[in-house]
Amino acid sequence: MTREDELNVQVPTDSSDDDVTRRVFVHHLTFLGGGVVLLGGCKDDPKPAPPPPVALTVSHKTFTDAEWATLVAAVDRMLPRDEDPGALDANVPEYIDRMLQSEALQQMRANFVPGVAALDRRAQRMFKVPFAQAKPEQQDELLTIFKNSPEKTGEARWYEMFVVLVLEGFLGDPSYGGNKGEVGWKLVGFSLVGRNVKGDPKAPYDGSQRLHDLTCGGGKGC
Amino acid sequence: MAMDSVDVCIIGSGAGGAPLALELGRAGFKVVILEKGAWYKQTDFVHDEIMNSRRNFFMPLPWDEPHLWRTEGQPYTRSNEAWTANCVGGGTVHMSGFFYRLKPIDFRMKTELGAPKGSNVVDWPITYKDLAPYYDKAEIELGVSGNAVPHPFLEPRKGNYPLPPLAEHPVAPEIDKAAKSLGWHTIPTARAIISQPYRGRDSCVYCALCGSYGCEHGAKSSTGASLIPAALATGKVELRAKCMAKEITVDAKGLAKSVVYIDADGVTQEQPARIIVASCTAVESARLLLNSKSTRFPNGLANDNGQVGKNLLFSSFGQSKATFSVSKRSKDLPWLTSPMPFVNRSLQDFYVMPDERFGFRKGGTLGFMWSHPNPIFAAVGLAKKGENGVFGKALKDKLRTYRDSRILEFEIYGEFLPTDTTYVGVDGTVKDKYGLPVAAITIKRHPLDFTMTKFLVERGEEVLQAMQPDRVDRVGTAGETTILQGGTCRFGKDPGTSVLDPDCRSHSVKNLYVVDGSFLPTSGGVPLTLTITANSFRVAEKMVASLKKG
Repeated sequence: MTREDELNVQVPTDSSDDDVTRRVFVHHLTFLGGGVVLLGGCKDDPKPAPPPPVALTVSHKTFTDAEWATLVAAVDRMLPRDEDPGALDANVPEYIDRMLQSEALQQMRANFVPGVAALDRRAQRMFKVPFAQAKPEQQDELLTIFKNSPEKTGEARWYEMFVVLVLEGFLGDPSYGGNKGEVGWKLVGFSLVGRNVKGDPKAPYDGSQRLHDLTCGGGKGC
Repeated sequence: MAMDSVDVCIIGSGAGGAPLALELGRAGFKVVILEKGAWYKQTDFVHDEIMNSRRNFFMPLPWDEPHLWRTEGQPYTRSNEAWTANCVGGGTVHMSGFFYRLKPIDFRMKTELGAPKGSNVVDWPITYKDLAPYYDKAEIELGVSGNAVPHPFLEPRKGNYPLPPLAEHPVAPEIDKAAKSLGWHTIPTARAIISQPYRGRDSCVYCALCGSYGCEHGAKSSTGASLIPAALATGKVELRAKCMAKEITVDAKGLAKSVVYIDADGVTQEQPARIIVASCTAVESARLLLNSKSTRFPNGLANDNGQVGKNLLFSSFGQSKATFSVSKRSKDLPWLTSPMPFVNRSLQDFYVMPDERFGFRKGGTLGFMWSHPNPIFAAVGLAKKGENGVFGKALKDKLRTYRDSRILEFEIYGEFLPTDTTYVGVDGTVKDKYGLPVAAITIKRHPLDFTMTKFLVERGEEVLQAMQPDRVDRVGTAGETTILQGGTCRFGKDPGTSVLDPDCRSHSVKNLYVVDGSFLPTSGGVPLTLTITANSFRVAEKMVASLKKG
C-alpha cells in the first residue's frame, strides 16, 4: 500500500467508524483536492517517455483513435446530458487529452491511458463490441465493475483517476479546455469569482500555460 | 566557493522567518533569506482551483519531494502530507488567517492540568505574559482584523485589534443565538486579512476564494504581503527564492558556519553567517538538522540528546457540516442567500474542562465557516468511489442538490498531545529530487486526543442542530491538520530534554536558532500561525540585543 493510495481515501465522508480506523487524514485546505488521484506511482517507478513537445493547444494528443472513442463514450456516461448540459458539452475529453500532456502528470498519463484500453478490452470480452459501441446500460455496467473493484486494484484506481479528470474538466477553469461555456460551474452554482480581476486584460488567462510557466517551465530552477 | 559572510542567514520566509528578517533588517544587520519555493507576484495569484489546489503551485509533487508517512507499526508510504506552501511567505500565503492567541494555561498545562499518562506534556519555559507584547506587535505588523469582546475565556490583552472586524455573513448572529440557547459564548474570529487599507495595502474585497489561495489584492496578511516587503525595504535583507537548503555546516568549535544550498540554477552554493536560523516548518527544520551530520554532531546538528524530531505536533481535527436547502428554506431563513464569505465565529467554551467528567481536561476551539467553494473538491467528494461511488444521472442530481445547498461547517483546532510515538526522522533510502533524504513521519496519537475531539464535535453539532438545518453530516472526529505543525525542536530550560533554550537558540550550537513551530512543547487549542509569528518577534529582540553586544 502506498501513501498515494491513502490520499485517495481522504475525501470527507460521513463514515461513523472513523474512530476505529482513524483514517480521516483531512487536509485543512484542498491540496491536490484532498482526495485526488493525481499520484500515480512512486519516484522509483520507471519514468514514462517524455511527451511530444507539442502540447496544451491541440486536441487528441494523448490517445489513439480507438482510445479516444472509448474515453469520449465513458466521459459521456459519467455526466450525461439531461435537462442540463453534460460532460461532452463541456469538452471534458479535450480537457483530459490536454491535461495529460503536461509534464507534471506524466506518471498519471502512464497509468491512465492503459486503463482506457482495458475498459475497451473488457467491453469486447463481455459484450463483443468496443466500449464506444456498447449500449449505455452495458457501458454503465462496465464502469460499475471498474468502480466497485477492490480498493488498490488497477481498475479501482483507474476509476478514481477518471472521476477526478472528468470533474476537473467539467468544473475547472475553462482556459484548460474543459468547462466550455462554464456549463459545469452553472450546474453546481459556482459563482464566477474565478478571475483575477487585476490580471492584464491584454493577456487573457490561460491556466495551462500559466501552470506550465509557473511550476514547470517558468524561469530559474524549475 | 563560499560567499561573503552575512550577519544572519534565515532558511524560510514564512511565519517564523519573516518577522526575524524584518527586525534584524531594521536594526541594521545584514540578512540573507533562503526560500526553497518560488517568489510569486501578487498577480500570480488567480482563482484557478486546478492550479492552486490540485497541482504543485504550492505543494511539491509526492514523487518529486515526498514525505514518508506511517502509522506506528505500519510500513512507510509516500505522501504530500505535512507540507505547507513552498513559496515566499510559506504557509501564510494560502492560510485562511484564523488568528487566535494561545491562552495563559497553554503555557502551563502540566502545572495546571497535569500531564495525561502516556503524554509528554510539559510547561513552557516562558509564560503568556512573556509573549503578550509580541502578540500585540505581530497583530500590528501583519495586520489583523477583529473585535476582542469580553467573554469568559478571553486571554488578557492590552487593547483591541489594529483593524476593525471584517464584514460578517448574517448567519453569524444566528450562530450566536444557537450557541446562547445552549448556554455557550460565541466569539468573533480575528483574521489576518485587512478590513481597511493598511500600510499601503488594499483591503479585502470579499472574494470568497481565500483559504488555500494566495490573495491577489495583498489583503491577506501573509508575510509575503506584509513583513517581507518591509524587510526588503530596510535595504539590509536579501531574499533568494528557489534555494533549497541542503545542510548547515559547523566549524571546528562546533558552531554553525554556513548553509550549503542548491540555488535556482541547480548549483550548490555556500552562505556563511554569524548566526544561522532554521524556519522551514517543524517537519522540514527537523529534517534539515538531521541531515546536517558532522563529526561533532554525527546524529544531526544540535541533536546530542536525540530530541530533534521528537514530540511532533499537529492540530487535532474534527468537523461536521450542516446543509440548508436554499429553495426550501430561504423564505424562512433570509440570510441563506447572502453572498458574504466570512462567518468568523468561534466557540471556546470547551478550551479547558473544569474536571475529568468527560475524560479529558484540555480541549480546543471550534471555528465556524461556510464550506469552501472549490467546486472540483466538492464534486469529487460527492462522487465518492467504490460501492458508494455514483456517476451518471445520480451524480448530476447530487451536483444539482449541491447547487441548491448552503453548507455551514465547523472545524476543530484541538490539543494534540505530544507522545513518544509521533515523531519525524529522516530516511536515507528515500531521497527527493535534490538527492536529500526525505522526512519520515511516524504517528500514533494519544487516545485522549480522540476523546476530546469527539466531545467537541458533538458540541458543535448541537449548535448546528439548534439552527435547524436540513441535515447534519459528521466528517470525522479523529483527524489531524498537518499544515499546522510544531514540536520537533522543543524549547526548554533543560539541555537534556529540549533542543532549544527559552530564546529558541540551540542548547549545543550557540549560533543556531529555530523559529518556526518547532519550538512548541504543546500544541494549544488554536491554529498556531500567530503564535509562531509573535514568538519570532520575541526571538528577534533577543537576537538583536546579542548581536549588538557582539
